[in-house]
Amino acid sequence: MKSARIIEVCRMGIVNYLDALKLQERLIAARKSHKIPDTLLSLQHPPTYTLGKRRTDHNLLVPESDLGKMGAKLYYTQRGGDVTFHGPHQAILYPIISLRDIGLGARKYVEKLELTMIELASLYGVRACPGKSGETGVWVSDRKIGAIGVRISNGITSHGLAFNINPDLNYFKHIVPCGIEDKDVTSLKRETDMVLPTEEAIEDQLISCFVTQFGYTSIVWKDEESLLCGDEGDTR
Amino acid sequence: MASRLLWASRAASYLRISVAHRGFATVLKDLKYYDSHEWVKVEGNSATVGITDHAQDHLGDVVFVELPEVGAPVTQGEGFGAVESVKATSDVNSPVTGKVVEVNSSPYEQGWIIKVEMSDAGQLNNLMDADKYSKFCEEEDAKH
Repeated sequence: MKSARIIEVCRMGIVNYLDALKLQERLIAARKSHKIPDTLLSLQHPPTYTLGKRRTDHNLLVPESDLGKMGAKLYYTQRGGDVTFHGPHQAILYPIISLRDIGLGARKYVEKLELTMIELASLYGVRACPGKSGETGVWVSDRKIGAIGVRISNGITSHGLAFNINPDLNYFKHIVPCGIEDKDVTSLKRETDMVLPTEEAIEDQLISCFVTQFGYTSIVWKDEESLLCGDEGDTR
Repeated sequence: MASRLLWASRAASYLRISVAHRGFATVLKDLKYYDSHEWVKVEGNSATVGITDHAQDHLGDVVFVELPEVGAPVTQGEGFGAVESVKATSDVNSPVTGKVVEVNSSPYEQGWIIKVEMSDAGQLNNLMDADKYSKFCEEEDAKH
């Protein structure tokens, strides 16, 4: 009989990048010492550019000082991957899960994150697929609709995926997204013929695709305050 | 801990970190193994450390390796560097405690990452031998 696997999910709305990073650090420590189960954060960021561990700032096409004028911030992070943009109307998932508990390696984990986004796109009749070798992410033809950048520390994941529902794509003009030249960025709004429901509904569908992809049997909804308490939230 | 960043070009991303002389054996008998998939070759007080074939299989193509400085301390079970593959950076943990005495500038061709002067050889008892490690990998892979 398949054993129960619980994931705690918190819908956070728009969160400052640094605040989300600090929360993830605390969750990683708590997960590592088994104080909390696998946890998933669902959120959006205000306009934010981020760089990965390799610090590929040659892919940022404007001086850092100009970003402030655009109302955007820049952060250097420890995740894998190249430069990217996060902003309103882009759905982000940050899973803080133990890969060791489910025997997944980095590659399989990233593949499942890709499949999560591919499945969401398919709900709207959009045929997306994983990138070719070296171009991780989710693509509709040669237009990128979803990005991935992950950190794994002692088998615990952080950072995660970003799926473009309907962000302002102009922000992507100021970077070479993910270091891949000559490829466009796109969004669900652009690619689908269907009328989109509310963003909250789409974000919930993304959570659902993740839960299915990773084989969780139940979701416990938490609010931010109770995330690190290890107590029971709403079980559905 | 200051780190020396090693940038790998796209060409290097198609090479895998592996020990060239291994032949077809995935788990070598004379090495010891840590449960976060690092291997250790012990010669006297010196330990050579790398990541196992199992780890590399699960990581995918490695595009970047972050290495410590010579002289940096390492502690069993704690991270000393990282590898990046398919948009994921994964910490590499040290299977031994001691001081880094040599860092490999070509980990892609030669397989090992650091050499450590061990301060506590007794910690080797916490490591797995080849048979235990093989079984450990099988059990991990059976989880999904």
